Amino acid sequence: MTAPFTHEHEFETQDLMINMGPQHPSTHGVFRMVLQIDGEVVRDVIPYIGYMHRGGEKLAETMDFRQGIGWMDRTEYLAQHNAELSYVMAVEALAELEVPERAQWIRMILCELNRLSSHFMFTGAFGTDAGVFGTAFVYSFREREVILDLFEEISGDRLMYAYFRPGGLAWDVPANFERRVAEVLKSTKQGIKDMDGLLTENEIFRARTVDVGTISAADAIDWGCTGPVLRASGVPLDLRRTEPYLYYDQVDFDVVTGTNGDVYDRFVVRVEEMRQSVRIIEQCMERLRPGPFLPDRLPRMLRTPPGEIYLRTEAPRGEYGIYMVSRGGNRPYRLKIRSSCFANLQALRDMTIGSYVADAVVILGSLDIVLCEVDR
Amino acid sequence: MTQDDAAAPSAEALLAASIWPQVDRALAGVSARPEPSVRDVIVHIPPDQIVRGLRALKQDRELAFDYLRCLTCVDNEDDGIDVVYHLYSIAGRHNLTVKTQLPPDDLTVDTATSVWRAADWYEREAQEMFGVRFRGHPDPRNLLMPEDITDSFPLRKDHPLAEIEVLQGEGVAYSEEPA
Repeated sequence: MTAPFTHEHEFETQDLMINMGPQHPSTHGVFRMVLQIDGEVVRDVIPYIGYMHRGGEKLAETMDFRQGIGWMDRTEYLAQHNAELSYVMAVEALAELEVPERAQWIRMILCELNRLSSHFMFTGAFGTDAGVFGTAFVYSFREREVILDLFEEISGDRLMYAYFRPGGLAWDVPANFERRVAEVLKSTKQGIKDMDGLLTENEIFRARTVDVGTISAADAIDWGCTGPVLRASGVPLDLRRTEPYLYYDQVDFDVVTGTNGDVYDRFVVRVEEMRQSVRIIEQCMERLRPGPFLPDRLPRMLRTPPGEIYLRTEAPRGEYGIYMVSRGGNRPYRLKIRSSCFANLQALRDMTIGSYVADAVVILGSLDIVLCEVDR
Repeated sequence: MTQDDAAAPSAEALLAASIWPQVDRALAGVSARPEPSVRDVIVHIPPDQIVRGLRALKQDRELAFDYLRCLTCVDNEDDGIDVVYHLYSIAGRHNLTVKTQLPPDDLTVDTATSVWRAADWYEREAQEMFGVRFRGHPDPRNLLMPEDITDSFPLRKDHPLAEIEVLQGEGVAYSEEPA
């Protein structure tokens, strides 16, 4: 945490409460925080969430396992494939379904592409938060759009894919998949370089972010932070490495960590993760072979035996967990979505107290929150 | 990935091979009952000892469950409400699920915020959604729902999905309840 800044007053002063949000361009959705400020210094932050609460967990209890997939897209609308993956893998684990190899590789490719598109969204939006409006935003959205085009060709939808199924995929990828992925990767690599040039080495950007909103590793763990927020504090927790799922144990990639746990590190970790995602996708493309994309025998109505599982995967924002309780039947008895942003956002107070008001926006931006995922 | 062997091993064998023996040692003095599950072992602890148990699990040097993955509730209707804690140790890379069963007439349990600060918002959410009271919580306000809704618990099974909505005039209504 930044060292508390103290004023020497000759006269008596009073803290000022200011409200920020819920309608505010830098809250990335509908989020409200009340700042208690003393001059320019933030003394306390009270976050208010819930504006996007749609009762998704209750809804999911009424949906069968196929309907639930579409709902997952709507909780995490920037990393839809990753969200779907947790859900379908939870169903597969309960129903003991085997997934064909080809489907697993395609899932990996799509999840990593989704990580890229999500991180591009972050670099663009965060650049805007930090005051480099325009250039970074437009560049990263151009790159993101290239990836979304590919997703649209595969699933038929630009954002709400609903492409994964318990047991595999809805249908096979188009015949030109390999060529298209190569094209996307080519543009993505250039995009990452552009981001580095525009932001990472930008002197003004660094002045705005280095040593701002620092959180120690112990605090980050205690608050339940995951993903780039935790790794920026130097904790190498990446579920792709610590609890490998899909075929992440068969590909080479580095778990990127920061050292300071400040806003700048959270940014650099994400940019570096994008390079690792490109590496993973390239290895997956080499291993992709023709084959079935669904198991041979799949029941028309999928039912699971009674049981429960907490299934977690590494989404771009951290651990996206699905706690599914089944009592038999074709729908979950209870479905809890463990949102990564929900836990990361809890740590906001710790990060912000003692910093300047202007930095509050940058710190919030560095968490890369998706309010639909926080509120569900 | 969890893969079942051809001949399903007995529950005792599964538990002996899991983290349970270490957990059992760390939970000395706490009555705990293990149950093998699809992925992580589940440990049942009675509500009056739950925080003692959780703290022992966190402070044990070998287990060191320093990270609270998730905290939530499951409504079992007549059997009360389960509070479920998902724990992980970053150094040891092991998982554990802890459950405590609250009877329907006394939905109160001690707060886990003194063990992990991460429990703060999870408990607030569980409180407004299930009506479970977390004794000693530092800030027990509503988190996701409007602040004035304190008598209705939407994630309970007896709560309807949606009330019948009268769109316009009389008789024009629909129900969201599945047939």
